Amino acid sequence: MNIIEIENLSHRFADGTVGIEGVNLKIREGSFVVIAGHNGSGKTTLLRHLNGLLLPTEGMVRLADMPVEENLLKARQFVGMMFQDADSQIVGETVYADVAFGPENLRLERIEIEKRVNRALRAVGLQDLADQRPHLLSGGEKRRLAIAGVLAMEPRVIVFDEPFASLDYPGVKQVLQQILDLHRSGHTIVVTTHDLEKIIAHTDRLIIMQGGKIVRDGSPVEIVSHLEAFGVREPCAYRLGVEVESWLN
Amino acid sequence: MAELTSFGYVSGDSLLHNLDPRFKLLNSIALSLVCLNLNFISLGIITVLLIGFIMYARLPLNSGFKELRYFFVLLLFVFMARVLSTGGGSLIDFKFFSVSRQGLYAGFLVCWHLAFIVLLGFILISTTRPSEIKAAVQWFLKPVPFIPEQKVAIMMGLILRFVPVIFDQAAETVEAQKARCVQNRKNPVYRLIKLGFPLLRRTFERADDLVAAMEARGFTENRTDPELVSHPRDWVALFVVGSLCVLLVIL
Repeated sequence: MNIIEIENLSHRFADGTVGIEGVNLKIREGSFVVIAGHNGSGKTTLLRHLNGLLLPTEGMVRLADMPVEENLLKARQFVGMMFQDADSQIVGETVYADVAFGPENLRLERIEIEKRVNRALRAVGLQDLADQRPHLLSGGEKRRLAIAGVLAMEPRVIVFDEPFASLDYPGVKQVLQQILDLHRSGHTIVVTTHDLEKIIAHTDRLIIMQGGKIVRDGSPVEIVSHLEAFGVREPCAYRLGVEVESWLN
Repeated sequence: MAELTSFGYVSGDSLLHNLDPRFKLLNSIALSLVCLNLNFISLGIITVLLIGFIMYARLPLNSGFKELRYFFVLLLFVFMARVLSTGGGSLIDFKFFSVSRQGLYAGFLVCWHLAFIVLLGFILISTTRPSEIKAAVQWFLKPVPFIPEQKVAIMMGLILRFVPVIFDQAAETVEAQKARCVQNRKNPVYRLIKLGFPLLRRTFERADDLVAAMEARGFTENRTDPELVSHPRDWVALFVVGSLCVLLVIL
């Protein structure tokens, strides 16, 4: 079943700049999709249409057959979004308060909120830092907190916008492990990045964007040789012709 | 940022930690108001009691004092202003300055009042989670007409969350400018402008990202209210503090 269906999607910003143009895309439930492209290729603009943060100038986005515009709150619950800068995404004055922010917006009962927050904190291993102030967390912990905030809303799709940006090696490993765990638990994962090295070993579908359009779509093996023509560095293992290894090994 | 980071909630299981935040706020306000009318003896008694509570709750009084070092400088100014501006029989005369016994008395008393209020604030902040203080303020604002208590609570939370982030950003901008020898420019207005504009631009960009992040998590004003439950101990604490206030005012 297709959980996301995008038909002829275009977005033009107020100043006339074209963000994305004529994008058609279908994503199956439970898949792990990576969207690559250089800065300004339209990756983030595309992601922001998935939960209605941006509405299309033309075209349509459907989530499990429901048009996004029909119910924005439901769309935002359905598609959890991880932003590039975790610091701007964290709104709570403590770790607990931040994770509770989403469920409180859904007007859930206090007892249900508590259950969801504790479950989400356990899932990302931050249960012992519930009373901590977020700006004292490390970069990797901040990303995990942002993931917990999204998890507490119980989405079916989770999209990550450049999840490894400005993280050190342990931070990358923590976040990568988290993404893989979420995929294993049945979530559909969409990741955008211009740095494929860290994630290529885990994806079964690679999409390349340029100038707001999808220019390649297929399995990594099929597409990887085209990457550099579109301003994305080919992962090291493919250049050297050796087996692709996970960053977790 | 150390100044802002360690003056905060300290987890614990003392009576002070477990009191309902609404009652703690009420008690703090009552004691703050009453202390302004107290003399040295009553103030001494109540300060000893307060310090006893701080020790009992195992709050880090030493690091609290360390964080408040700039506040003590402010107190020194207040003290000097009071001493020099209060008339009476002079103790010391030096050129234009004259220090009186009444001036010293008034200076000490006003500084003690202010320090006492800060000590109350220290106890409140150290034993209450920010989200509980936010919930208490929201509860008190609920019956006030024309004040959207949900919005106020969200704003309080965002201020607590983002003030340290903005300070960090400012420190980073200052470092970046020092790395390009800004200290060679002696004009403070020039330096302020060069610091202020990038900082403001970054803060507005961050605010933009924040709006998107809040919307992505379904932000609405019609949210689940915080849950606050009072226990008999809260009423007992209110009664004890209330009685103490009355007693101190009468004395």
